[in-house]
Amino acid sequence: MSLSLQAAEHPRLHQLPQTNQLKALMTIIRDKNTTRGDFVFYSDRVIRLLVEEGLNYLPVVHKEVITPMGIPFEGVSFEGRICGVSIMRAGESMEQGLRDVCTSVRIGKVLIQRDERTAQPKLYYSKLPKDIANRWVLLLDPMLATGGSAMKCIEVLMEAGVREERILFVNLICAPEGALKMLERFPKLQIITAEIDESMDANKFILPGLGDFGDRYFGTED
Amino acid sequence: MSSGAKLTSSTLLLKSDGRPPWYTPGGKNLPVYMVGIAGGSASGKTSVAKRIVESLDVPWVVIVSMDSFYRQLLPEESKRAFESNHDFDHPTSFDYATAMRVLKDLKEGKATRVPQYDFTTHSPSKETQNVYGASVVIFEGIFALYDAAILEMMDVKIFVDTDSDICLARRIKRDVAERGRDPLGVLQQYDRFVKPAYDGFVRPTMNNADVIIPRGLDNQVAIDLMIQHIKRQLDERNATIMRPVLVDKYCSSTGLRDTLVTLPQSNQVRAMQTILCDRTTSRDDFIFYSDRLSRLIIEHGLGQLPLQHKVVETPMELPYEGYEPLSVVTGVTVLRAGGVMEKALRSVARLANYGKILIVGDQKTHEPRLHYVKLPPSIKDHQVLLMDPTIVSGANAMMAIRICLDHGVLEEHIVFLSLLATPQGVHAIQVAFPKVRIVVALLDAHIGKDELLIKSGYGLFGDRYFGTED
Repeated sequence: MSLSLQAAEHPRLHQLPQTNQLKALMTIIRDKNTTRGDFVFYSDRVIRLLVEEGLNYLPVVHKEVITPMGIPFEGVSFEGRICGVSIMRAGESMEQGLRDVCTSVRIGKVLIQRDERTAQPKLYYSKLPKDIANRWVLLLDPMLATGGSAMKCIEVLMEAGVREERILFVNLICAPEGALKMLERFPKLQIITAEIDESMDANKFILPGLGDFGDRYFGTED
Repeated sequence: MSSGAKLTSSTLLLKSDGRPPWYTPGGKNLPVYMVGIAGGSASGKTSVAKRIVESLDVPWVVIVSMDSFYRQLLPEESKRAFESNHDFDHPTSFDYATAMRVLKDLKEGKATRVPQYDFTTHSPSKETQNVYGASVVIFEGIFALYDAAILEMMDVKIFVDTDSDICLARRIKRDVAERGRDPLGVLQQYDRFVKPAYDGFVRPTMNNADVIIPRGLDNQVAIDLMIQHIKRQLDERNATIMRPVLVDKYCSSTGLRDTLVTLPQSNQVRAMQTILCDRTTSRDDFIFYSDRLSRLIIEHGLGQLPLQHKVVETPMELPYEGYEPLSVVTGVTVLRAGGVMEKALRSVARLANYGKILIVGDQKTHEPRLHYVKLPPSIKDHQVLLMDPTIVSGANAMMAIRICLDHGVLEEHIVFLSLLATPQGVHAIQVAFPKVRIVVALLDAHIGKDELLIKSGYGLFGDRYFGTED
């Protein structure tokens, strides 16, 4: 079985429903000829869908309400407090999508860079909500390649007291190698993604991918 | 308050009755009532037509004048026309095929474009008049009862038979006062063209008439009889939609066809529905969660539209096999509440066109009544997303769909988007319009006891969103 297929069938890796409509959005994002305005607009649209899907993995409790017509309605209500944590810089592109559906949500930030000497990801900065240990965390980073920085970030979160099963890692596209490695390393972690790609190249870029998300989103290409 | 204003509740003011349903519960248009009025030049045809319109006192009557259908003149005819030497009173001066097409559209209840004739250039004007929404059409002109195919469409045919001396006197007065002609020229034209055409072609069409009104507008008795006849026939045709739809077509949600797509009932969708159904929810929350749920519905609705394959190259110089949209999207909102969903469509589809329809339920009968339509002119070629946050009886949705069809949109190009629907409402739509797809976030099983007063779990959506509860 190919790695992509293996990843797609993993019970803790949740892809958005693979509709042609989603493919049409991804087509624009992946096209190297797409203008920056369109790249940002359509990325934001997919991010909104990802956030809505990610929130579905939060618990709900049964709730009965009375409708304006005086009839009881059997429903559910949100349970558990959440926060977002974005991996700088690309993860910040996903913050607005989260804010649009969870008004005044708390958002922590983590800066992780590759250490040039050891080639390992290294934590440079983190600022997290004080009570993060009692919250569910939507971890935001648009690209999951090797998963190196995301795994480093999860370590940081768990050191702050976040429970592994309360971490939902939300990204736009992922390389199957990285996703499977993360799920193995963190056996209670859940990943929500829009599409699983084929593989990675020697420079750890996702293939067929979409290039450097942060550069295209923030307009800092060479 | 001006006269004619109708205060129907403490917050609602309606200035007109609106147009009641013009179609059967099965969604088919009822034939439009057509009146043909012919008669000699200046015999009082237009005045009789106007009197009928006034007496019927309904806003959905249209007068189509034969003047709109003067045909394009040949170059030498045009030259003669400028010398006041062309016979405009001859039957061959009119374009019957175009008249037939326009009248046929109107008869079938379709939106149509009526040509305009420019009397200064003696040629059809580039401007056309958009006509939609007539339940009664009056076609008047000297040859209104001349063409056999047009006669076939008329429900009642009237010939106004005014004494020719009176006609001539009126004509001189009118042409001199309103069109700046000199009396001698008018008389010459009358002798050369008008009189022979009347005797030879117009007067014989009197045989095609059902009713001949001597003395035109002065004949109050004949006109009153005519108006009573038309009123009686219209009353017989008046469609009532609510009762047959709701009472005869009850069904459970299991009997619905697969043109209904329900949003996956995820935790978030269920939690949002709970907030919207809760009568204690604040307006802030009601607005916020309506908007959020609308966005999901819009994304789902756009997913119903056709796409075509497209291969692009990524910045990694590898191909990606994807899709792209196939056609233009028009969002049509059923006001007032549909406007809420338009906001969500605008935030995802930047280049969409927007149309608007205002439908208000009659306070007593609950019949939907159309008050306003504005749609993009090229809508017939578009994919249409119709939006209304709630489908209750389905009657408003059916009217909105019927309007799109009347404007040439294909039934299979319509997707109706709603946050909440009753099974009865969905069923009514499916029976009438089996190809229209319906996307809803929740199918609400809570139905009131009185079928005419089904109220959804949201209560009155528009009032809660806009803060206009009584």
